[in-house]
Amino acid sequence: MTAKLFRNSMAVAVSVMALSIILFMGVLYQYFSDQMMEALGTETWLVARGVELEGLNYLDGLDSENRVTWVAADGTVLFDSSTDSAAMENHGNREEIREAQENRLGAATRYSSTLAEQTLYSARRLSDGTVIRLASSQRTVWLLLLSMVQPILVILVLALLLSVVLASRLSRSIIRPIAELDLEHPEDCDAYDELAPLLTRIKRQNDTIKQQMGQLQQKQTEFSALTENMAEGFLLLDRQGRVLSHNPGALRLLGAEEPVGEVNALFLNREEHFRQAVDEVLEGHRSRQVLQMNGRCCQLLADPVWKDGEPAGAVLVLMDVTEQEKREELRREFTANVSHELKTPLTAISGIAEIMQGGMVKPEDIRDFAGDIYQEARRLIALVEDILRLSQLDEGAESLEREPVELLALSQEVARRLEPAARSAGVSVEVCGAPVQVQGVRRVLDEMIYNLCENAIKYNRTGGRVTLTVGQGAEGPEVTVADTGIGIPPEDQSRVFERFYRVDKSHSKEIGGTGLGLSIVKHGALLHNAQIYLNSQVDRGTSIRISFPK
Amino acid sequence: MRDRFNEQLEQLNVELIKMGALCEEAISAATKALLDGDDALRESAAAAEREIDQKERDIENLCMKLLLQQQPVARDLRAISAALKMISDMERIGDQAADIAEITLDIAHSPMISRVPIAEMARNAIVMVTDSIDSFVRKNLSLAQAVVRRDDEVDQLFLDVKQELVRLLGQGDSGEVCIDLLMIAKYLERIGDHAVNIAEWVEYSLTGQHSALN
Repeated sequence: MTAKLFRNSMAVAVSVMALSIILFMGVLYQYFSDQMMEALGTETWLVARGVELEGLNYLDGLDSENRVTWVAADGTVLFDSSTDSAAMENHGNREEIREAQENRLGAATRYSSTLAEQTLYSARRLSDGTVIRLASSQRTVWLLLLSMVQPILVILVLALLLSVVLASRLSRSIIRPIAELDLEHPEDCDAYDELAPLLTRIKRQNDTIKQQMGQLQQKQTEFSALTENMAEGFLLLDRQGRVLSHNPGALRLLGAEEPVGEVNALFLNREEHFRQAVDEVLEGHRSRQVLQMNGRCCQLLADPVWKDGEPAGAVLVLMDVTEQEKREELRREFTANVSHELKTPLTAISGIAEIMQGGMVKPEDIRDFAGDIYQEARRLIALVEDILRLSQLDEGAESLEREPVELLALSQEVARRLEPAARSAGVSVEVCGAPVQVQGVRRVLDEMIYNLCENAIKYNRTGGRVTLTVGQGAEGPEVTVADTGIGIPPEDQSRVFERFYRVDKSHSKEIGGTGLGLSIVKHGALLHNAQIYLNSQVDRGTSIRISFPK
Repeated sequence: MRDRFNEQLEQLNVELIKMGALCEEAISAATKALLDGDDALRESAAAAEREIDQKERDIENLCMKLLLQQQPVARDLRAISAALKMISDMERIGDQAADIAEITLDIAHSPMISRVPIAEMARNAIVMVTDSIDSFVRKNLSLAQAVVRRDDEVDQLFLDVKQELVRLLGQGDSGEVCIDLLMIAKYLERIGDHAVNIAEWVEYSLTGQHSALN
C-alpha cells in the first residue's frame, strides 16, 4: 500500500513539474526569441550604418558573436564572417534578403544550410541596394534552458523525498485504523468516517452469524436430545457405508462400542442379516430384517437416501422387538393351549355320542355314558368360564366395583364351600388368624382364595392338611394358603402362574381343573396391586402368600 | 493419491470383516448342525465355506493391488501383510467348519455327542473366532491376547474329549461315532489354533511385534 501511494504521489509531483516546465519553457522560449530578434535588429542597424560609412573595412574590423553577411543587390555574397564568401551561393532568393530588398528590413527564422542549425536572421538594405544580414544561432535559447537543468533536478529530488514522506504518512494514517480494527466488536472501533459503512456491515454480519450459529446449535441440541433419548437405534450411512451419525440406542442394540472416528457400519456389527441389509440398502433397495443377537430380537428398517436419482447413503432404524416377539409367542402358545383344552372334552363327547349313535351301547349303560358326557360338558363349561373370567380381568379391570372386604370371613366361607371336596380327598382344612380388611372386588378375592384352596386340596395327599392364615403382615393384610402336599419342583415354580401350565402334564385329566386357576390368582393379585410369594418344597408342601398393600 | 489409498485400505478392512463374519457363521452353523442335527444348517455351512474361498481370492487380489500400486511402508505394509496371513487362517477355519458339517451327516442325533464335552469345545472355539475378529475390528490388543490365552482351554478340552472317547471305546461303544467325534474335536482344536494365528497377526499389525516369531 505504501509503495502504491508513493508511486502515485511521485507520479503527481513529476507530472506537475513536467507540465509546468513545458509551459514555462514555451513562454520563455518565445520571450527569448523575441528578445534576440530585437537585439539582432538593433545590431543589424549598427552594422548597416558602419558599412554605409566605411564599407568592407568596417566589416573586416568587426568583432561580433553573430554571423555577418553582406549581400550585393544581385544576391552575390560580398562578405561573410564565418565562411569564405567566394564559395557561397547566391543569396538573392533568401527570404530575409528578398524581404529587405523590398521593404528595407527583413527578418526570418529558419534552418541555415551553412551553419546547419536553426537560425534567426535580420537583414537591412543599405542605400546602395546591398543588404547586410546578421544571423544568430537559436542554440543560445537552448543553452539558456540547459542551464536550468541543475535546479530542476534538485527540485525533482526534493519532490521525491517529499513524496516518500507523504506517502508513508498517508498510508500509515489509512492503514493503521484498518489494522487496529476489532472485528469482533466493530461498533467500538475508532476509525475514520469512510470505514463506518464497512464496520456497520461487519457488525450486521456478525450479528447474523451469531444468530444463525445459535439456531444451528439449538437444532443440534434438539436433534441429539431426540436421538439420544429414544430407545430405537438410529444410523446414518454415506455412500460407502461409513457411519455419519449414530445414537447411543444403535450402539446398544448392535452391541457395539463407541466407534473411534469415521468407521464402516460393519465395524459396529457383522451379523449376517445386518450385512445383507447394509448391502441391499446401499444398492438402493429398502430392506427389512430381523436381527437375533445375544438373545435379543431386533427389527432393522433400512431405507436408502436418494440424491439426484442415485443412492447417496442410507438411514437405518433399529427397534428392540424382543418383548413383542415374546408376547407374540405367548399369544400363539395360549391360542394353541386353548384350542387343545377345548378340543379334549369335545373329542370325548363326540366319541361317546358316536358310540351311542351306532347303537352299540346297551340301554342299561346309557346312564353311565350320559354321565360321562355330562362330566365332559361340565369341564368344558368350567374352562370357558375360567377363560372368560381371565379375559374379564385382562380387559375390564376398571369396571369392577371395589368395596371393603373382610378376608377372614371370606376365607372361612371359602373353606366351608370346599368342605365336601376336602372330605372326599381326605384333607383337613383349617382357617386361623385375625380379621383384616382390604379394599377390593369381593368376587375376585373370593375366586383367588378359592382357587388357591382348591389347589391345596387337589395337590395334597390323603390325611394332609390345608391351613388358611389371615392377618396383618409387614407389608399389609396377608392371606397365606399352606398345604402339606406334593410341592412344586424349583424349575417349574416360575412358570406355574402361566396360563395352562401344568407341572405334571400327563395326569392333568385325572386331577381335573383347567390349568387356569393360578393364572386367575395372578391376575387378581395384579388387579389389587398385591404381591404373590411362592414357597414350595417337593414332597413337603407349598405355601402361597398374597400380600395386599396397606 | 493418499485418499485413494486410504479408501482401498478401508475396503480391505471391510472385506476382512465380512470374511470373518462368514467364518463365524460357518462354524456356528456347523456346530448347530452337530448339536441339533439340522440338515439345512449343514448346507449353509458348506455355502459359507464356498463364499469364504471366494472372499479369500478377492482379498488376495486387493492386497496385491495395494502392494504393487501403492508400495506401502511401515504400519500400512504391516496391515496388508497381516491381512494376507489372516485370510489363509480364515480360509482354513471355513474348510474345517465345512468338514465338521460333513461329518455330522453320519453321526447326527447320536446320543454319544452329549456324553463328551464337545458342545463346550465348540462354544469356546466360536468365542475364540469371534474375539479374534473383534480384536481386529476394534484394534483391541488385549482382546487379541485373551484369544491366545483361551486356546489353552480348548486344548485341555480336546484332551478331555479324547480321554472320554477312549474310555467309551473301551466300554465297547460304537467305534465309528467315537472316531468321528474325535475328528470333530480335532477340527475344533485346529479352529482354535487358527483363531490364535489371526489374533497374533492382529497383534503384529497393531504393534509390529509377532509373539510367535519372537
